[in-house]
Amino acid sequence: MIVDAGALALPIAMLAAAYAGAGSLLGGWRRAPALALSARYGFYTVPALLAIATAALVYAFVSQDFSVRYVAENSNRAMPAAYTWVAFYAGNAGSLLFIAFVFSLISVAAVRGLASKLKQTAPYSTGLMALTLAFFLGVITFLANPLERLPFIPPDGQGINPLLVHFGMFIHPPMQMAGLISVALPFSIAMGALLAGRGGRDEWVDIGRAWGMVSWLILTIGLLLGSWWAYTILGWGGYWAWDPVENSALMPWLAMTAFVHSIMVQKRRGMFRGWNIVLVTVAFTLAQMGMFINRGGPVPSVHSFAQSTMGWLFLAFMGFTLLGSLAAFAWRMNTLKSRESLDSMLSRESAFLAQNVLFLAVAFATLWGTVYPVISQASQDVTITVGEPFFNRVNGPVMLALVLLMGVGPLLPWRRATWLLVIKALRVPIGAAAVTVAALVVAGVHRPVALAAVAVVVIAVAGIAHEWARGTRSRHRKGESYPVAFGRLLSGNRPRYGGYVVHLAISMLAIGAVGSSFYEVQRDFSMEPGDSRSLGRYTFQYVGFDRSRYSDRDEVVAEFAASVNGSDLGSMRARRSFYREFRMSSTRAAIRSTPLEDFYIVPSEFEEGGRAVFRVYVNPLVWWMWASGPLFALGTLLALWPKREPAPSKLPAPARPETARA
Amino acid sequence: MSSYRTFLSPLLIALAAVAAVSCSAQGEVPDLERRAQEINRSVMCPVCPGESIDQSQHPLAVQMRGVVDEKLREGWRDGQVKRFFVERYGPSVLLEPPAQGVHLAVWIIPPVGIALALAALYLVVRLMARPRSGRAESIEVRMSADERGEYAARVEAALLADDRRDAGAGR
Repeated sequence: MIVDAGALALPIAMLAAAYAGAGSLLGGWRRAPALALSARYGFYTVPALLAIATAALVYAFVSQDFSVRYVAENSNRAMPAAYTWVAFYAGNAGSLLFIAFVFSLISVAAVRGLASKLKQTAPYSTGLMALTLAFFLGVITFLANPLERLPFIPPDGQGINPLLVHFGMFIHPPMQMAGLISVALPFSIAMGALLAGRGGRDEWVDIGRAWGMVSWLILTIGLLLGSWWAYTILGWGGYWAWDPVENSALMPWLAMTAFVHSIMVQKRRGMFRGWNIVLVTVAFTLAQMGMFINRGGPVPSVHSFAQSTMGWLFLAFMGFTLLGSLAAFAWRMNTLKSRESLDSMLSRESAFLAQNVLFLAVAFATLWGTVYPVISQASQDVTITVGEPFFNRVNGPVMLALVLLMGVGPLLPWRRATWLLVIKALRVPIGAAAVTVAALVVAGVHRPVALAAVAVVVIAVAGIAHEWARGTRSRHRKGESYPVAFGRLLSGNRPRYGGYVVHLAISMLAIGAVGSSFYEVQRDFSMEPGDSRSLGRYTFQYVGFDRSRYSDRDEVVAEFAASVNGSDLGSMRARRSFYREFRMSSTRAAIRSTPLEDFYIVPSEFEEGGRAVFRVYVNPLVWWMWASGPLFALGTLLALWPKREPAPSKLPAPARPETARA
Repeated sequence: MSSYRTFLSPLLIALAAVAAVSCSAQGEVPDLERRAQEINRSVMCPVCPGESIDQSQHPLAVQMRGVVDEKLREGWRDGQVKRFFVERYGPSVLLEPPAQGVHLAVWIIPPVGIALALAALYLVVRLMARPRSGRAESIEVRMSADERGEYAARVEAALLADDRRDAGAGR
């Protein structure tokens, strides 16, 4: 009953979205506000319809209704009850429905804001969002219907992919999917302004920037959660392997990072109007590429959970978007003239531009490395693997340059700087970096790359700290207490200081990456129960193991008693499960995490008598990567938080004859 | 001076501590094992796409790790071990694409592309930043509230005219 209602809601939602898309674009084009309004109200029904469909699917999972094909394929009676609530996005069809549902919610939120603020642009932007949604709903309705029934009722389902049974399942896939699709919002807003012929006014910038940053934050958190998940469950002590699917999530993030910076130049100076639209188009194209690679793209990956043959449809959709955007751009080129011009090579504007170019460079190098295997297969019939060493070597130096730019750029003034001024502003950060590097060399760190990386991070952090310290102190002198002074300093210029908080988070990520990639220690130990070994400051005893058999898996839990420098750390448990149905193992590492380093034990194999091989890592500074997550959110929200508008001065209300004319 | 001493010293102490700690543990890994890890990370597990044999839990990966270990103990050099795998599984078994022949392209294109992009950036910025003569540096205007209102109305009217023109062009 409920399932049937959901199955009925899907095609209706598709029709509503298609009508909203066509009606909205036509209404904007023919200046027919009534049509645009009707289309918009039609669009508002889509989230409600999709809520019914999604609820029906969740209900089918929770009530274990195996007559639904998708439920039978992606769950079984043995799986933990909590996971039945989220198993609906474990496969292709359900994850598409999830994407469509989330997108309908956030795009309706965006459309409400647009319709009240940007009257001329809103119909176009709404139309683009609705058409995107209609595409997804078309695919769901015709090709991947998660609510389709089987002709018979199987006694049990096939079960969920065991790698997905992890706490991360509740947050990472939703975040990642929402992040990729949310790039469509800033794209639609910018492209709508362009289509309306209003790209040359900067009226779309505030709302476009706001949704761009929301999208950026979701992508960031999705990437962080994915890395953290890989770190705790895949059991190789790493968190990022430049796998095609990882790359496909990283590329739109890179382009969006360029966009949320460059949009500030348009906000402040009315420049880069065309460039910003190009950037957000690139970001959306890369996000579509991500969905394509994720769904049975041509590149083999560990993460292809939602494999299907419909990847090519997404590629076609991507090509359509790209060509359409190019055409729109060519058509409306003449509306995009800059309000002002660059004054100097040495200015904040050109720093932003350099940042954009470098971010795009990383994105394209990553894209190149990701698709090269396909190119070589097609052109020379040779299979080539392009893996981690390639990406580290090609992207590493550019990322280093980006962190340096992150330190230097914000210190440059708008419009024009002089070298003298730059040197003066950089004196403190560079001094701090020099002292740090000297101290590290004395302490025994000699790798040039690690030293360079630490130096650029220190420049960035010291620049921020220096500016905050100066600002707070000068407010303090005027009689504010230190915390109040600091708080008011931050809220005085939110885009700037929110950005600084995000830069601190990036610095934490960078420090974590440097520590764990250059100074990780890894050893394999073969141990009998009772054996004791040590690695670095850590000593650990393999106390014993516990074997248990569950309906879907065999599990071995190894217990350790660990100590650091002689002080007791208590017991640590590492787990290895074998899922019989899937013939797949999954591990859960025992991790003792401190800001200084992680101590990480993961079982590689168990033998009959209890002898086992454990892989043990001491992973310096990884903690900082996970700790950066809240700072990313905090900084982005601070930068987003709208300024209280000063009371508007009285202006004569302008007459608006357009509506009458239409 | 004093402004950064306050935050610099704890930072330095933390960093130096980390460095000292991690370096001490690094010395504990025998040379042979470190070399084996290095090789493991550069060889792909043939049956688990995208994963190195260091990462993978697959039995074949475990077995290949054993082979690496054994060969190194027998005195093979790193290159020999990798070539051994290439002979058995083909060139795609290495995670790093070969830097020879046509495949040189995979290595060359990114740095060349980045260099070209930076050069283009330099040219564009220089072109855009060419100083124009006769341009006032900054204009400061003081207006009363009435004047401001009148000015805003004029701006509105101009924008409206602009709109009409655009609409005309769009038809």
